[in-house]
Amino acid sequence: MSTKEPSVELLQGTLDLLILRTLLFGPLHGHAIAKAIERNSEDVLQVEQGSLYPALHRLLKRGWIAAREGASENNRRANFYRLTPQGRKQLHLETTKWEKISRAITRILNPEAGRP
Amino acid sequence: MRNRRALDSLAGDIRDHLERETADNIERGMSPAEARAAALRKFGNVPRVMEETRAVWHGLWLDQLLQDLRYGLRYLRRNPRFAAVVVLTMALGIGVNTAVFSVVNTVLLKPLDYPDAARLVWIGAYDPNLRRDFVNKDDFFEWRRQARSFSSIAAFGYQPAVLTTPAGPHQATAVYVAGDFWRITGARPAIGELFREDTRDSIVLTWDFFQREFAGDRRVVGRTVDLNARHARIAGVLPRGFRFQFPMWWAADHPEPVEAYLTDPRPGEGIAGTTQVVAALRPGATVAQAGQEMQALERHLIAERGGHPRGMADLQVVPLQAELTAGSRGALLLLSGAGIFVLLIAVVNVANLLLARSTLRRREVAIRAAMGAGRSRAIRQWLAESVLQSLAGGVAGLLLAYWAIQALIRISPNAVPRLSETAIDGRVLAFTFGVSVLAGILFGAAPALTLRRANLHDALKNGARSSAGPIGLRLRRLLVAAELSLSIVLLTGAGLMLKSFALMTAHAPGFDPAKVIVMNVRFHGPPYIVPESAHENPAQRAYLHELLRRTYTVPGVQSAGVSCWILVDGFLPFPADPTPGPTHVFRLNAVSPGYFQALGMTLREGRWLADGESHAALLNETMARLAFGSADPVGRQISLPRPVTIAGVVADGRYSRLDAAPPPEVFIPLEDAIDLYGFAIAARTRTRAAALVPVLEKQIAAIDPSQPVFDAGTLEAALAQSIAPRRFNLFLLAVFAAAALLLAVVGIYGVASYSVAERTREIGVRMALGARRGQVASMVIREIIPIAAAAIAAGLAATWPLARFLGTLLYGVSPQDPATLVAVALFLAAVTVLACLVPAIKAATIDPTAALHYD
Repeated sequence: MSTKEPSVELLQGTLDLLILRTLLFGPLHGHAIAKAIERNSEDVLQVEQGSLYPALHRLLKRGWIAAREGASENNRRANFYRLTPQGRKQLHLETTKWEKISRAITRILNPEAGRP
Repeated sequence: MRNRRALDSLAGDIRDHLERETADNIERGMSPAEARAAALRKFGNVPRVMEETRAVWHGLWLDQLLQDLRYGLRYLRRNPRFAAVVVLTMALGIGVNTAVFSVVNTVLLKPLDYPDAARLVWIGAYDPNLRRDFVNKDDFFEWRRQARSFSSIAAFGYQPAVLTTPAGPHQATAVYVAGDFWRITGARPAIGELFREDTRDSIVLTWDFFQREFAGDRRVVGRTVDLNARHARIAGVLPRGFRFQFPMWWAADHPEPVEAYLTDPRPGEGIAGTTQVVAALRPGATVAQAGQEMQALERHLIAERGGHPRGMADLQVVPLQAELTAGSRGALLLLSGAGIFVLLIAVVNVANLLLARSTLRRREVAIRAAMGAGRSRAIRQWLAESVLQSLAGGVAGLLLAYWAIQALIRISPNAVPRLSETAIDGRVLAFTFGVSVLAGILFGAAPALTLRRANLHDALKNGARSSAGPIGLRLRRLLVAAELSLSIVLLTGAGLMLKSFALMTAHAPGFDPAKVIVMNVRFHGPPYIVPESAHENPAQRAYLHELLRRTYTVPGVQSAGVSCWILVDGFLPFPADPTPGPTHVFRLNAVSPGYFQALGMTLREGRWLADGESHAALLNETMARLAFGSADPVGRQISLPRPVTIAGVVADGRYSRLDAAPPPEVFIPLEDAIDLYGFAIAARTRTRAAALVPVLEKQIAAIDPSQPVFDAGTLEAALAQSIAPRRFNLFLLAVFAAAALLLAVVGIYGVASYSVAERTREIGVRMALGARRGQVASMVIREIIPIAAAAIAAGLAATWPLARFLGTLLYGVSPQDPATLVAVALFLAAVTVLACLVPAIKAATIDPTAALHYD
């Protein structure tokens, strides 16, 4: 039932980056973000989908993303999250940093692009 | 933060998320129920996700803390009796420490009220005979002229005063002040003015005295009144908040606060040997430098007067606050230590209670864990609960401490200098809060730790009943042993002090202070005091004659006499000194013949003074030893300064202070003293004297109403006052020890009862198999005995080195007094067995058939 602490910690920063990366292509609601990340990196995101939300709010708090309530297709109301200019800058910064730190992580982050 | 609003729709977001996931799953061909379950599984624990998300904004700890506290409160409300026991125990432990800390805070930590208090120093030479510091007054004036280390320097001295106004005489405990006293204290007058240094015959009143004796009548200021034997002007009144914060050696006899400040007395008028000196260090000067300068200066002064040290050979300069608290610092630190012991015992006790409780609550935790609350979360909640209870205990403890401080101040205001200033201020509140939180975490940790190891799965399976298991029980026994050991240390301390007290108050046969009345008269005004008189004063003699006559007319009075303490400092060379030069300080008393009988003194050698005898003296044993060594003093002469012949030696007696060796004393006939300023009356009664005190006081006051009588009471009361600080320490330590003992007994009782409850079924089996009730009962007690024995041994081992710290607080008892240690160990062993008795009886009366069905 409980997740192992170390892997969550390892994932936290990664998850933030993945969210930022996903939002690069336009505003999305929570479920869509989760689906997109899942599609892009099946093996990394073994965590529960729920852990997306604390991560989203961490990014909101830092001002890297913004939320706006909107009606989704089936008339339900949910928050749409979009990247802020600051978040865009941060994504770039962090990506560079991560690439520097570890090739392995870069590969996971950016499977098709490979090298900068 | 605009983005924070997203939090409000978090629940909606999650709902939306789950619905989409469910819809996706249905699309993949699952049934709606399956789809929903799969979505939930994939999402994870919804409440925890919400909590963690909220925590991003609030900070996890605050949010959870509030929740923990809410749960804690709910739990405590549902278990009020249990909570009450914990809160009361902690109130005792925390209250004791709060009370001690507020005294320590006031006495040791709070700076004096005076400006630049940290730069104030005390200058004095310790006199082993007077057992206090004093300064030769002439030297003070020389220091004032010559010393370079000080920006200001002042002298003061104790001087009881009688102010006579048209309204009648007013007695005041007063000090005369000289030098920069007002500058050092930073005093400003509330009414009128403060006298200047060159002013003569002037008085400044304290606010309280002004209100009490003059009802705050401002017209009094500027008026000339009779002060002792002279006219003096009331110059002004000090503000209400002004305090005299200097060492008061006289407080043991005159516990009143200083009520009036006088100008420097005229020669011969003040009490000799009372001058004390304080000074403010010049900026940049250190205490050590000042000490060196003063010692050099004093060596020079002694050489100038032909090598007469006048008691000033060993001059010391020390920080004023250190000097003021020198006598109580050790005791206060010791009491602080004792307070910590009591707190530890309280913490251990509560931890024990909670441990027993935690067994019952394991199921609760297991259920909560199953619902998604992590184990660490449960531990945190228990800690929050503990801290909550501890804080409640802290609040109750604060009330307890407030009440205790008020009681202490009332019982013995002078036991510790500045005790009466003690109050609960911000620092004390912070201390209590800190101690409460710390204690809560401490006692909450033990059950929380067992939770960490426990197998929660079993707790669920086993149903309602489950055992703490061997770990819990072992831990509980260990805790009880720790409690016992800690209480042994406290009990031994209290025992040693109690024994000291008994030794102190044990008197030589024939001396019964309860049957002696003492009171003082100070002559003032003409015709009793005539300035510069060189002859016997007939008014004084007539007064004394009448006084003795009237005293004997009081029914119940067996013998009576008067003693005039003429000089405290006769500086005389003694025949026993191997080298000429040293001089000694002793007490010279002029006494009427009945005085020795009234006090119940016993003659060691020679004879009593005869009626009307002149040029003769009696010595006490200390004086005889000091002046003549092992030689027989009877028949020899000493010069006072005219030669007197020694008629006999009386036994040393503790007539003024119970906890100190008697000073060297010389007694001469009253007729040999020329001029008297005042005297002490001693009257021995056939029965207990207390009832006769007012009768005698009235008789003596009636001789001449203008000569007031003061300090009337039994010698017993006066002696008790002399050891007020010791009583204070003993009282507190005894209270601590009693609290410790109570808590330890509760702890033992708890463990024994719990052990019996745990083993009900086993006991039932034993009894069914033929165990007799006596065997079962002794089994319960036998179980505790090794714990108690180990604890007592450990406690005694800890006491051995710790008792050293009692040091000067003891009197006539070694810190490792075997009798006390054995008595305490036996006492505690007996108490332990008694505490197990109820659980033992309970075990013995278990009904085997019922026990076997016991789940």
